[in-house]
Amino acid sequence: MTIEPTELDKAVLLKVSGRMDAENAHQFEQACDHWISLGAKHLIADLEGLQYVSSMGLRGFLAIAQKLQSASGSLILCGLHGLPRQVFEMTRLIGLFPVFETTQQAIRTL
Amino acid sequence: MDDSASRLSLPAGVESITAFCEFVRVGAVAAGIDGSEIGKLDLVLEEILINIARYAYAPLSGVTEVSYMPEGHGRLRVEIADCGRAFNPLDVDSPDFSRGLADRPIGGLGLFLIKGLVEFIAYRREDNRNILSFVFPAAGE
Repeated sequence: MTIEPTELDKAVLLKVSGRMDAENAHQFEQACDHWISLGAKHLIADLEGLQYVSSMGLRGFLAIAQKLQSASGSLILCGLHGLPRQVFEMTRLIGLFPVFETTQQAIRTL
Repeated sequence: MDDSASRLSLPAGVESITAFCEFVRVGAVAAGIDGSEIGKLDLVLEEILINIARYAYAPLSGVTEVSYMPEGHGRLRVEIADCGRAFNPLDVDSPDFSRGLADRPIGGLGLFLIKGLVEFIAYRREDNRNILSFVFPAAGE
């Protein structure tokens, strides 16, 4: 899994690619925590390149979203497709996050 | 699972999950399971194996055995066994989906996922071993 951050005016964009599994899921949560500690209120996860996510990854998404919500921020998901989208739908997490097809759509809402 | 099954035993740690997935993928391909289903098979295996890795032997270490055999064309029967403390993952309640983001529990999602991705899943305690068996993929997949 690779995580490429980009600082935007009102958010930090994290482009996540590859497989988010039990061995590396903590890296996403650590990356988000890093940007939150630097003052980011809104994180946008671009998941177009995400091919696989297990429940260990879902825990990270949920924990970060809860943390940001309690600080009046948000974790926004973009580009969810294939198996990762199915996993978010099966666990009924999809309704808990703002979800957009593209990062441009997400950025316009901030 | 009879003697014709393929078997692999490895330390019951997170570091073994990839090797177990690669091992079972060989059987899945041989059984004629569509390549597009392999990600789901990895997911089922990971969710079961991570529970064993984290809880079955803690704080000690132990071994997990994974075995498989074809269950007709396009189906694979898999068994995952450990000698850790008795635990039936099928007894775990589903997460409370009525809760909003702030209150949504973080645990329990993996076992819920497994049940949706397999055709059959059963637990038994036999000779001091936890044995979880399932048939993949789910009917209709």
